[in-house]
Amino acid sequence: MALNVTEILEIPLGIGEITLVNILYFTVILTVGVIIAKIAAINVRRILAERLPKNESELFAKLVYYIIIIWAFVIALPQLKFDLSGLLVAGGVAGLVIGFASQSVVSNLISGLFLMFERPIKLGDNINVADVTGSVEDIRILSTVVKMYDGIYVRIPNEKVFTSNITNYVHNAARRFTYEIRIRYEDDADAAIRIAREVIEKHPFALKNPAPSVFVDNFGEHSVNLTAYIWAPARNWWDVRTDLLWKIKQALEENGIEIPIPQRTVRFVDGLEGKNRAVEMNGGEE
Amino acid sequence: MFGRYRDTFHQESGDIMVETGSVDGLLTYRRRCEGQTFERILVSKTGEIVINPVEPGSLPRDITDFLLMEFPPMMIEPGATQTVYLKFPVEIGVFIESARDIEVLDIFGLGTQKYTLYGPPAGGVIALYCRSAIYPDIPPVEFYREGVMELSVQNLSLEWMEVSCAVFNSVDMKIYYGDFVATSATMRIISRTLAETDFVDAPLRPGMEKAVELNRARKIPVLNRGHLMEWGH
Repeated sequence: MALNVTEILEIPLGIGEITLVNILYFTVILTVGVIIAKIAAINVRRILAERLPKNESELFAKLVYYIIIIWAFVIALPQLKFDLSGLLVAGGVAGLVIGFASQSVVSNLISGLFLMFERPIKLGDNINVADVTGSVEDIRILSTVVKMYDGIYVRIPNEKVFTSNITNYVHNAARRFTYEIRIRYEDDADAAIRIAREVIEKHPFALKNPAPSVFVDNFGEHSVNLTAYIWAPARNWWDVRTDLLWKIKQALEENGIEIPIPQRTVRFVDGLEGKNRAVEMNGGEE
Repeated sequence: MFGRYRDTFHQESGDIMVETGSVDGLLTYRRRCEGQTFERILVSKTGEIVINPVEPGSLPRDITDFLLMEFPPMMIEPGATQTVYLKFPVEIGVFIESARDIEVLDIFGLGTQKYTLYGPPAGGVIALYCRSAIYPDIPPVEFYREGVMELSVQNLSLEWMEVSCAVFNSVDMKIYYGDFVATSATMRIISRTLAETDFVDAPLRPGMEKAVELNRARKIPVLNRGHLMEWGH
């Protein structure tokens, strides 16, 4: 008995009218689809490698990969005698469900794109957004990653970033910070201002222009309060702030100007002597 | 002190000492400048140490590429060009170079630095500040502390202009050294608020040696485009 391959391939497998040839075609189409998808994904990854952050290029590559796989699957499906019109109806319903479910994903995606175009924040910027303060670690398509100053990782959805008030502490080249310096009433405020100015002027990153300003701001309960306004490069202001304060204190102390200790003068109506006598008399009676 | 050195060497000048020597059997680079010291172990068979003046703005920390030179105000008539000489602060760069690569080893300098803001906080730039008198000829300078900038100021506008500062992008700076450290620059005044500044890649005097630039060692590609001053001069 001669073996006829064509006949064997066309024998129904018992699942509707599907034959071995259909299964073979289905497998070949899917395999070719997978190969094309892999080649396309590799090329997308390579092209975008230097233009986008790694995670975003990876996302695009995966998107291309799965679109091609789905496309190959749809082409291969008729081989399994599958009615695509039914799939279209199901797809329509599924699309509606997916559409509702992915509202926030799309919203985050669009917000992410707007953030990339508007660029209110950049990688490494110190920001406050949605009550999170820290430095921007990554701006992704769907979310922004912020590393808080205590090292905690926070992922904020882009929609929230886009719709919140963003405070970018380093967007401008320079920023101002303030000290309140308290001196005793008996100290010479003019001398204190001169000394503080000299210390500030010696610091390389306390900017020459806008010039620092030191002045008597108000009279406190226990002290004369001086205020110092100092401008520093936005990216270094914290270092300058922490460095200068101690230097000002040291310089003031070296010149006999001290930070006052709170004091309260209490006066007795009868004088302290009369009060003591009353206490003694009460003790004697007992 | 400026030049190229192989193996061990010792150079001292005033408050500056630079040397390489063997410490516990390891080749070590050591520097002392105004009481500040720096030390690095070197693992090298063919490396050369290159010491020369570099673009100012790396001390005490590299935070900007801009240099703001302030000088007494000058009134310039329309169309006029004037060449003047200014003093700028010198920073000294130490590089380690082999046949394949060059790297910054150390940067130091005499004196203190001061930074300033040119322009408004939003849109302005942080710049290294230095103030100089105006000299009609090359002034005497402290060799390791100051350099001479030949500045050609040209008034391209149709009005008299007052100029009292120039802001440069020090990335474009070309420094030459010999008897003194020098650079040449141009400033073209366009209007009351606009001026273009740039550096000229030419020695101030024949025979001067060109300094190795920091950006070459840092492998930062530089397009020499000058700087547009947008916030007055």
